[in-house]
Amino acid sequence: MLEWLTFIIQLTIYGALISQLVTAPQLSANYQQFYAVGFIVMMTYDIGSHTGRHFVEDAHEGRLPYLLSLPISRTKLFLSMAIQGGVELILMLSVPFAITLALIGNLNIISIVAALVTLFCLGFGVTGVMLGLSFIAFKSADVYSAITVGLSSLIIRFSTVLYPLIFLPPGYATAAFFSPLTYGADLVRLILGFDPNILLDPNIAVAVLIALAVSTLGLGLMLLQRLVEGVKAG
Amino acid sequence: MALKGLDFTINYGEIMVLLGPNGSGKTTLLMILATVLKPTSGTAKVLGIDVTKQPTQVRKVLGIAFQEARGFWRHKPADILRFHAAVCGVPKAKRDVEIEEILKALELWDDRNKLFMHLSGGQAKRLETAKVLIQRPKFAIFDEPSSQVDLRGKREIWEQILRLRDEGSTILVATNEVREAEYLADRVTILDQGRSIVCDTVKNLKDKIAGGDIVELELEPGPDSARLQEELKQIKGTVNLVNTGENRYKVHVSMAEAWVPKMTNLCFERKARLLSVKVTEPSLDDVFLHFTGKALEAPKNA
Repeated sequence: MLEWLTFIIQLTIYGALISQLVTAPQLSANYQQFYAVGFIVMMTYDIGSHTGRHFVEDAHEGRLPYLLSLPISRTKLFLSMAIQGGVELILMLSVPFAITLALIGNLNIISIVAALVTLFCLGFGVTGVMLGLSFIAFKSADVYSAITVGLSSLIIRFSTVLYPLIFLPPGYATAAFFSPLTYGADLVRLILGFDPNILLDPNIAVAVLIALAVSTLGLGLMLLQRLVEGVKAG
Repeated sequence: MALKGLDFTINYGEIMVLLGPNGSGKTTLLMILATVLKPTSGTAKVLGIDVTKQPTQVRKVLGIAFQEARGFWRHKPADILRFHAAVCGVPKAKRDVEIEEILKALELWDDRNKLFMHLSGGQAKRLETAKVLIQRPKFAIFDEPSSQVDLRGKREIWEQILRLRDEGSTILVATNEVREAEYLADRVTILDQGRSIVCDTVKNLKDKIAGGDIVELELEPGPDSARLQEELKQIKGTVNLVNTGENRYKVHVSMAEAWVPKMTNLCFERKARLLSVKVTEPSLDDVFLHFTGKALEAPKNA
């Protein structure tokens, strides 16, 4: 609920004000709409981070040994945590996404579904990254928080979440190619009808997002087996 | 705690108690058996299944009640058990009936709708035991099952563990409480600094101690008390004699059945009137002291 309220306030006050300042011929759509999509991508990143945080908290509060002792494989345990992240994503994005769709308007069901699939793919990718990080830092919630806050600063700032690639200074633009959010944000915007000239090639974005989701979830699974089940006992 | 030189086998259908002080490696061992930790060397098998090669198969036959009862803070005991039963494959039709039965047996029924975060330490600990009871695993592990639990609750937990054994489960209990070990154990393994020191039945362990029986005597005061005390020390089988008060003695003897008749004959000959005789066995505390040279501590964590 708090996230929804934050989104509504950000969009209606800050988004409306900033859209008066940010105008460019390349932005065929109102900047407020551009900003709304960017905010949703940021929320997707945050929700993915929460999933990793749940894991760290489980470890920190002593629930991890219980989860690890349940009669299920580590793969199923890992996937259940990723699915939990996916369900959270659905619930938490529902209202902001509906508001964004209403703001943009004039959409068909295919583009809505495609945008959602893109967000889920991005969400799973971020979840994989965060679960992987959480396995490295699972003994300390503070270490995990420090890593994710630092990472989020880099990943969000150096991306096209808030501004199109063509608006970014050369240094920022180069760095933005390394942020997964760039590909997620640009692909969602393309699907929702923004001008393709200010966005990345959608084929590259699709490939990057799928590769991200598969590789990070795979990496997370490997880390779970190596770092958690394989804790040195002596 | 590093484990080294740890070697023991549990027979099917028995309760093996791991008895050791804080830091002796009990919890580390249990975590390895539950596949939560992986050993760096050595072999551990649960019902013949290797914990490092087939951890998922091990988890399917094993249930563990952890030393620290940790649950999902905003869940209720009944919900926690329902989730646990579902994950462990307890048939849906049986779940609610068995949850009610176990919660009542462990005196948690009235608190079934309390949030986990509002349970007392003892209640949370009983809920931890309840998870294993509802699961009825082939191999059950209890890590200090009755710590933080009141005396009546302890007895109920112990009865439930014995019942689980009688229903066919093989059980491993880790504790540093002598009473708990004596109540539950079919056999005891004494652990110290990551090593298994000795493993046997409680009776055999006690019999292994020289002066394994204790005789407490009270005699009527007489003129030759000092001489009689010296003569009691000379009786064959006397290991140690301690004067615990005026004409009161605590005598460690190798075999009370043989020693007591000799002592009564001596008293009869010396016309010393025997006011009381009490024969007791050494406790597992004494056994631990005998084998490790240290007293068994009673702190919480292992």
